[in-house]
Amino acid sequence: MTAAAAAPADATATPVPILSARGVRKTYRSGVESVEALDGVDLDVAPGEFVAVMGPSGSGKTTLLNCLSGLDDIDEGTVMVDGQPIHELSDARRTRHRAASMGFVFQAFNLIPVFTAVENVELPLLLAGRGPKEARARAEETLERLGLGERLRHRPPELSGGEQQRVTVARAIAGAPKLVWADEPTGNLDTETAAGVMGLLTDLHAGGLTLLLVTHDQAIGASAGRRVVVRDGRIVSDVHQPPSNDGVMA
Amino acid sequence: MVSLPFLFLAARRPVLRRLALRNAARRPRETALVVLGSLLGTSIITGSMVVGDTLDASLRQGAQTKLGPVDELVSTSSATEQGELTVALQALDDDSEAIDGVLALTTLPAAVAVLGPDGEALRAEPTATVVEVDFGAARAFGGDPAATGIEGPTPAPGRTVVGEDLAEELGVGGGATIVVYAFARQLELAVDRVVAQRGIAGFSPGFGSRSPNLFVAPGTLAELAQAAPAEAAPPSTLVAVSNRGGPLEGADATEEATAAITAHLGTAPGGLSAAKSELLADAEAVGAEFTELFGSIGFFSVIAGVLLLVNIFVMLAQERKSEMGMLRAVGLRRAGLVGSFSLEGWMYALVSALLGTLVGIGIGRVVAGVAADIFGGAEQSLELTFAVDPASVESGFTVGFIISLLTVALTSLSIARVNVIRAIRDLPEPAPPRTRLRALVAGAGIVLAAGAWTAWGIPGDEPYATLAGPVLVLAGLVPLLSRFLPRRLLVSVAAVAVLAWAISAFGVLPDAFEGVEIPIFVVQGVVLTAAAVALATRNQEAVGAVVRRLGGGRSMAVRLGLAYPLARRFRTGMILAMYSLVVFTLVFIVVLSNLFSSQIDSFTADVAGGFELQVSSNATNPVPVEEVRSRDDVVAAAALSDADAEFLTPRTEGEFEPWFVTGIDEVFVGQGPTGLGDVGTYPDADAAYRAVLADPGLTIVSDFFLQDGGGPPEEPLEPGERITLRDPVSGSARQLTIAAVSDSSFAEAGAYVSQDSLRELYGPRATANRILVATSDAADPEEVAAELNAAYLANGAEAETFRELVATNLASQTQFFRLMQGYLALGLVVGIAGLGVVMVRAVRERRRQIGVLRALGYPSGAVRRAFVVESAFVAAEGIFIGTTLALITAWQLVGNDTFGDDLPFAVPWAEVALLVVVTFVVSLLATAAPAQQASRIRPAVALRLAD
Repeated sequence: MTAAAAAPADATATPVPILSARGVRKTYRSGVESVEALDGVDLDVAPGEFVAVMGPSGSGKTTLLNCLSGLDDIDEGTVMVDGQPIHELSDARRTRHRAASMGFVFQAFNLIPVFTAVENVELPLLLAGRGPKEARARAEETLERLGLGERLRHRPPELSGGEQQRVTVARAIAGAPKLVWADEPTGNLDTETAAGVMGLLTDLHAGGLTLLLVTHDQAIGASAGRRVVVRDGRIVSDVHQPPSNDGVMA
Repeated sequence: MVSLPFLFLAARRPVLRRLALRNAARRPRETALVVLGSLLGTSIITGSMVVGDTLDASLRQGAQTKLGPVDELVSTSSATEQGELTVALQALDDDSEAIDGVLALTTLPAAVAVLGPDGEALRAEPTATVVEVDFGAARAFGGDPAATGIEGPTPAPGRTVVGEDLAEELGVGGGATIVVYAFARQLELAVDRVVAQRGIAGFSPGFGSRSPNLFVAPGTLAELAQAAPAEAAPPSTLVAVSNRGGPLEGADATEEATAAITAHLGTAPGGLSAAKSELLADAEAVGAEFTELFGSIGFFSVIAGVLLLVNIFVMLAQERKSEMGMLRAVGLRRAGLVGSFSLEGWMYALVSALLGTLVGIGIGRVVAGVAADIFGGAEQSLELTFAVDPASVESGFTVGFIISLLTVALTSLSIARVNVIRAIRDLPEPAPPRTRLRALVAGAGIVLAAGAWTAWGIPGDEPYATLAGPVLVLAGLVPLLSRFLPRRLLVSVAAVAVLAWAISAFGVLPDAFEGVEIPIFVVQGVVLTAAAVALATRNQEAVGAVVRRLGGGRSMAVRLGLAYPLARRFRTGMILAMYSLVVFTLVFIVVLSNLFSSQIDSFTADVAGGFELQVSSNATNPVPVEEVRSRDDVVAAAALSDADAEFLTPRTEGEFEPWFVTGIDEVFVGQGPTGLGDVGTYPDADAAYRAVLADPGLTIVSDFFLQDGGGPPEEPLEPGERITLRDPVSGSARQLTIAAVSDSSFAEAGAYVSQDSLRELYGPRATANRILVATSDAADPEEVAAELNAAYLANGAEAETFRELVATNLASQTQFFRLMQGYLALGLVVGIAGLGVVMVRAVRERRRQIGVLRALGYPSGAVRRAFVVESAFVAAEGIFIGTTLALITAWQLVGNDTFGDDLPFAVPWAEVALLVVVTFVVSLLATAAPAQQASRIRPAVALRLAD
């Protein structure tokens, strides 16, 4: 089943998708062997949606995220993000586009260890061309909003795992991106901390954030309004569902 | 031997062996960089030894080419005495087990020329030596005819046999006609043949490789000397003695032979000299001196190499931290981890020491070649015989290998101390407690030991204790006081105090540093750079803030480029230390070189006194001084007599040492001789010189009198001290009192005595063989010199202006400084290689972070720029520290008159700027490849591999 086949049940007028992928293929080659990581993926994501991409290990979830966000190149197909065919853009323009309209949350936090929390968060704002003072103010405000007002000047190694991931979320949303990509954002966290981070993301989504989240955790998948299942590089299920907070808040 | 524990480990612990081997093979390019960085230390050590070997061998070569079977020489005062002594020693030869030959030789310095059809000189050699010897006796001398170089019959009257050096100079062979000028006469000789420069045929005691000899029939010199003018030294009548054994082994029997000769004659002959063993001892001393010189200045590069190794190993440990944690978790003991790292390091050390030894031989060859060119003036060129002593190769390899191995082993001990969980989770190590007992005890120990060393050293003028003692006390105080004061403040204050002391110590306690040798400057350089780097490293945030402000706070590349070096203090400190150390030495040498070379005018005035040029000539045929005085373009001409002499002084430990003596006249003093640094009890220099003219028991010496080697004079003599002057030929001696000391930086003059005093001691051999000329204002001294050379060719005249003389001397000095710069620049290779290695590793280490940055929208160009900014920051900081320290140190040393009075301090800005720019640009080029590699990292690939 594809996204096109699974139209939203309650949609009266289809909004212009913020993400639109058609026929995306990606093959990894290693010596004589090649692995079809994505095999003709079609996917549309409307603004404000919370999409959970699920599937077993090695199914192609992270590859899907990387290719659709423009982090990785594709072999075939087209991907439009916010109206831009990202794989047709030069590396420099694609990078600028990414800085202006996307945010990322990774499983391993991936904060820059030599920058403080606030410096990490202001990074995408500066990259997007905001002035240093504005970027700093916005970063501090975002961190305070996420409960890290006391940890602004700490470097990542001085923060707990949950705090680091909250800094990552702050970094992803500080620039008010149109789309946030999250790859197993709770994979390195204990249950309680994971619930806190998911609660945060859910709240942000409730505030209008478009979120595409890769996870293998059923409970987290259930908290999304739409669940896309990937297997062997193909989307095998794309279901809109009423979001549940059970697993997240457990 | 030192490899045995590692071999044992490799044999008994296959897991460690596998781990070490695979880690080394994991990244071949980086392994190659590690080996390259570490091999330079070994090559510098080996290179300095090969330089010594080559110079030693080149000089030793002279034992065969210039002396052959001649082991001892006895100078006699007349042909009669020569004859008697020869007969007496031949009797000894028959019985003695020490000597196997006695030979009478008579020599005469003379000018020789090939004339054209109109009597004009086509080619000339002003300093040839005419030798009179019986060829039959010469060939039999020493028992090995081949070693004498003498072939065929003794030349007949009117004929000559020419040595190959002279034949080459004059362009003559058998059948040619040459003219000898001696005793104001000219003698035409037909050339029979040319003999090789070997043994008696190449006979030429003294420095230099040349032997411009010609051999004449017995009686020729006596006949020439019959009509000698009053102002001409007679020929030198010598008796050569050959010891048993070959040309080299014979020297070992010198003591025995001398004792036998003394016993046989009942007294030691006055003019006896151990020519061969002195030449060999000189060769050994020159070789050792060069090994020490290049070894010492190369030590900076060796330290840079050690810092590079430490840095690389610490980086390796950081990169493999989680692996190390896992290994510990699965049961590998800490000793095993140390073993694995040490084994890997042992392999690097072994390979780099082997390659470094080979590279060192090449470096030694190049350096020795350049050094030989520098020292080889036209008159005393030193022919280079490249030589590598297997013992040097072995020592170079061993020292380099052990330095690398110790560095690796100690670093491994330190880095293997990991907390398993923190290592597995790649968490940072917590900051150590502010005052650990261990640190307190160590600090107290250092303070006590260094304090005692200082207390012992300063009163005794011990340079190392005076310089380094207080530095160590300050270093020990830091851990002791860190309980009460912030560490940053403590380190900063201690570093500033150390800098102040290391710069000013030479001025504050000059007695402790009088006559010091190069290693003290090495210690000073290391102390200065260590303190400056500690200061910079502890205050990097402040430095970074300034740079950020200057570089534009909005630039993401600047922000990121500065973030890493500021956060990684140890790594940055290591690179800073490498750069600072090497740049310090390079800039210091550049400044010193310029200080001397820019002083041509003041040096000329210093050595020339009231004269413009000097004319040297053969003692047997001196330029008539009255003729020179009568020229229109000459205002005054002083007649000086230079002669070989031996001196016994309170500094020579009971031994007579060779130097030379100069007889001076009234004109010399009247025209204004060279200035005096210490006039003793006299009111001024003129009074001191006039006292010497009037009193044959007085002398004036230079502060370089009896000094050998370079650098400032060691313990120069002072006015009032008494010395003994001895004529090496007659053995006659005279007590002299030092009236004054000259500070002329050129050892051009011997000990000044009056002409009368010299004549009393030397008899007719004290001739006016050097004339100092003051030209009229209208005359061009160089033209006058050229005219004198042409006019007095027959006298072997060599006229040269003082300016030219100084310029030649300074040119050699400058060339030598250049050579040292080139040698030191090898350290720069270590520094730049180090920066390259660190940046290559940084790219790998930060791969995931670069991926994230790229994912967040960081342009690839900015990634590249950030890496360039990072290396530019570290290189610029190191260059700044090194340059600043070098300029301050040079300024301080010049201000303290360490290199002589009145030497004005000046910075050769253009040269320093060139050095700085080249170093900086090359550093950036070394980063270009890793920066480019970093900018090409694709975000998804980096994140996928990392996650």
